[in-house]
Amino acid sequence: MDSVITKSKDVTLLEILDRVLDKGVVVSGDMVISVADVDLIYLGLKVLLSSVETMEKLRGSPFIGPTQEPT
Amino acid sequence: MKLYLYGIINSSDQIKESIYGLEGSGVYNIPLCDIGAVVSEISQPIRGVTKGAVLEHEAVVEKLMENFTILPVRFQTIIDGRDNLLSMMQSYYKDFKDNLERLHNKLEFGIKVIWPADKVKENIIKALKKGGQRMPESDSSVSKRFIKEKFEKYEIDKEFEAKADRFIKVMDIFFSKFAAEKKLGKLKTENLLLDAVYLVEKDRQNDFREAFEHIKNAHTGLKYLFSGPWPPYNFVVLSKKSGLLRDSEQADLFDKVTQCQTLVGADSI
Repeated sequence: MDSVITKSKDVTLLEILDRVLDKGVVVSGDMVISVADVDLIYLGLKVLLSSVETMEKLRGSPFIGPTQEPT
Repeated sequence: MKLYLYGIINSSDQIKESIYGLEGSGVYNIPLCDIGAVVSEISQPIRGVTKGAVLEHEAVVEKLMENFTILPVRFQTIIDGRDNLLSMMQSYYKDFKDNLERLHNKLEFGIKVIWPADKVKENIIKALKKGGQRMPESDSSVSKRFIKEKFEKYEIDKEFEAKADRFIKVMDIFFSKFAAEKKLGKLKTENLLLDAVYLVEKDRQNDFREAFEHIKNAHTGLKYLFSGPWPPYNFVVLSKKSGLLRDSEQADLFDKVTQCQTLVGADSI
């Protein structure tokens, strides 16, 4: 648990959620007890993930967009 | 007995240190041949998705990553009993083995690059005006105005995409030097220029970090988010056939796995 907490200081919680809820091995078959609501809840998270401002906010620093075009 | 599955590891050995998973249950390895499924027992009804549970899941996976190659399994994968788990392992065995070998000694890193889309578009419009690529102002009928606006939008979007492509290409050439595999996501939103994951050899991770720092310093006016090392969540590739084997294939595979079990002397089935 410590490593996650330490890491989450540096990266957004959304980075963890994106991986744990949406990536990795998915096994299928009768032996797998289906998990209710995960897809639905994740749908909500997708909306969050698409928001750069939200990502920055959760990261712990206010979003201040660059004022100059990148070089 | 229900088993909560955290990941598949490249070892049939028992986990030496004490790791506690969801609901505080002890985590252990159920071996099949030369690989293992890391689980903890779960008795209560399935909970919803909570931040705490997600972090507990990830903590177990990261702890295992310290000592094993791991294929992380998606959150809240629960198998109904040991026999069913072993049956699942048998049907996925080849895929699991192939992935464990491919991902051995490799780590995942995430890179997000944010650019100021409004500013970029503003500059594109200025450049287009300067270059005289807009249609003449004298076209004042409604239909012509409509076409003119559509054309301008098309030109702006095209240049916006082209500019994104150029930036991503420059960055990716640099990052790819130190990566074994990659997945690039372009402009998932207008501001999110790049959402990429790279698979990097453990002993090249410092080179990769340096490459990131170099890019960050070279391209000002952008915001960056670097994350990792992660277990290879984005790089596990399972064939469509896994888990859907016909009876004859299942029987054939079962024979092979049984032979393997006999060879390594495992008696856990």
